[in-house]
Amino acid sequence: MKTPTVVAADAALLPRSPNLRALAALLVLTLRQQIHGRRLLVLSLLFALPGVLAAVVSLGSRFVPPAESLEFALLLNLVPHALVPLAALLYAAGIIQDDVEEQTLTYLLLRPLPRQLLYLVKLLATLVVTSLLTAVSTAATLAVITLVASAPATSGLVERALKTAGLLLLAQVGYGGLFGLLGLLTRRSLVVGIVYIVLLEGLLASLDTVARRLTVMYYFRVLVLRWLDPASGKEWSIDLATAPEAWTCVLTLLGVGLLLATAAAFFFARSEFHMKTPAGS
Amino acid sequence: MTSVVEFDGVSKWYGNVIGLNKLTVRIPAGITGLLGPNGAGKSTLLQLATGQLRPSQGTVCVLGHRAWNNPALMRHIGLCPEQDAFYEWMTGQDFIRTCAELTGMGRREATAAAERALAVVGMGEHVRRSIRGYSKGMRQRTKLAQALVHEPRVLFLDEPFTGTDPVARRDLLEVIRGLGETGRSVVVSSHVLHEVESLTPNVILLHRGRLVAEGQVREIRDLIDRHPHRIILVSEDYRALAAKLVRWEDVDGVTMLRRDKAVLVETHRPDAFYARLPALSLEDGTALREVYSADDNLEAVFNYLVNE
Repeated sequence: MKTPTVVAADAALLPRSPNLRALAALLVLTLRQQIHGRRLLVLSLLFALPGVLAAVVSLGSRFVPPAESLEFALLLNLVPHALVPLAALLYAAGIIQDDVEEQTLTYLLLRPLPRQLLYLVKLLATLVVTSLLTAVSTAATLAVITLVASAPATSGLVERALKTAGLLLLAQVGYGGLFGLLGLLTRRSLVVGIVYIVLLEGLLASLDTVARRLTVMYYFRVLVLRWLDPASGKEWSIDLATAPEAWTCVLTLLGVGLLLATAAAFFFARSEFHMKTPAGS
Repeated sequence: MTSVVEFDGVSKWYGNVIGLNKLTVRIPAGITGLLGPNGAGKSTLLQLATGQLRPSQGTVCVLGHRAWNNPALMRHIGLCPEQDAFYEWMTGQDFIRTCAELTGMGRREATAAAERALAVVGMGEHVRRSIRGYSKGMRQRTKLAQALVHEPRVLFLDEPFTGTDPVARRDLLEVIRGLGETGRSVVVSSHVLHEVESLTPNVILLHRGRLVAEGQVREIRDLIDRHPHRIILVSEDYRALAAKLVRWEDVDGVTMLRRDKAVLVETHRPDAFYARLPALSLEDGTALREVYSADDNLEAVFNYLVNE
């Protein structure tokens, strides 16, 4: 039996800079994947909830609450406490897990895409979808509140909608980075994520302790107090004199999101994903 | 002969389960068959070669470059995976074009490349239908097209004939043969030996994660000499024949095949055995209707080698 000689390493195979067209194709593919899932339908219904609730509360009772109260209860509490983290959890935790379960990850890993960028582009697509959901929901809810509330807010609807959506987007970045990493670390990311949302972002963030500075919700609330200044904001027991400045909060949320996303990208690049074959070999 | 894939002392463990065990093998250019029963480690080998898995031990190189986590290498290799998974909501054409775009091609270039790849695998007019409605044969062709669309230098095909009907199987064999003729190196895994035998004489045999044999089918067959040859003798009075043969010193074992009215003989000295047969056939009551070697089929070669 002849021993084959080894083929010489071809210099043309040396790593090249990532192809932007390939990354753009991945972004589009991921967006299409997310649009085709049932998840979008479920989350669209959930994100329609604040607007529906505003309409039901206002039309279904004799006492019609003022717009400011409805905005605070729905857009600044219900949405950031429940919907934003839930959307981030459902999408970000599944960035890679979905492709592993559907066994389509192979088709991505077989392309000349650096693994770190593969993860980051998929995360970006996730943020685009969740941000669009949040922005549309915010605008629709504000529109409904303006139509049905007893005392419409004085400042401009568009400005408040943009500010609120922007703040919710910042929270999405923090949650997206966190839950994306969680999805790589554990297969029970949904359970762990819900426990995290309830205990840390729900309970811990509401306690007047230093520990709440570890939560996304704290920085979101500080930003709300500084930029939107809702009258009901006192309920959060945050002393603005000792709270971080607005830009510190922005940089913290962006920085933490970016840091966690980078950590997840490097973890993904070093992880193996064994696709089980029908025969199990 | 140049090698395109090298495994050097490669082991791969999944926890306590071993997928490949200290495998050292060089796969030459051209078409190579990767043979072994289910669980032999064929898919593990292909996933290591395509950089999907990291070796627990040893090194894997393709075209002279490390395979694990090497995106640049992916421009030059293609894998038709065994798992039957797709973006089911896409059409075949859309799927293949997307795969082309993921390699960095522009929209127009990717569309042209997808059309070429789909034409090579003979997908025809079905390409505009949703993948979820495809037959098994069409799904296999689509998987093959995604592996081809960027015109790789080395193709890895993991059980490409699984679940296909005879017509699809014949067509796929033709496609793979054609790919080899265009100068691509193709590694085809299969547990059905005659499929691979019809593609290439160059094979690698794996069993329980270990290399059992490699080389030309004929060279592998020479290895059989270390094992008993199996010869089948057909006779009306096969019982009397068996009784005589069991007393021969150059016969290691005798098995009666009642259904075939035959006797299966195992011998380490086939030449001596064959030399005695004419005399045997002249003896009363032992007229031999037919004598043939059970080793003529590659399946038997494989069984010999893995049943050591």
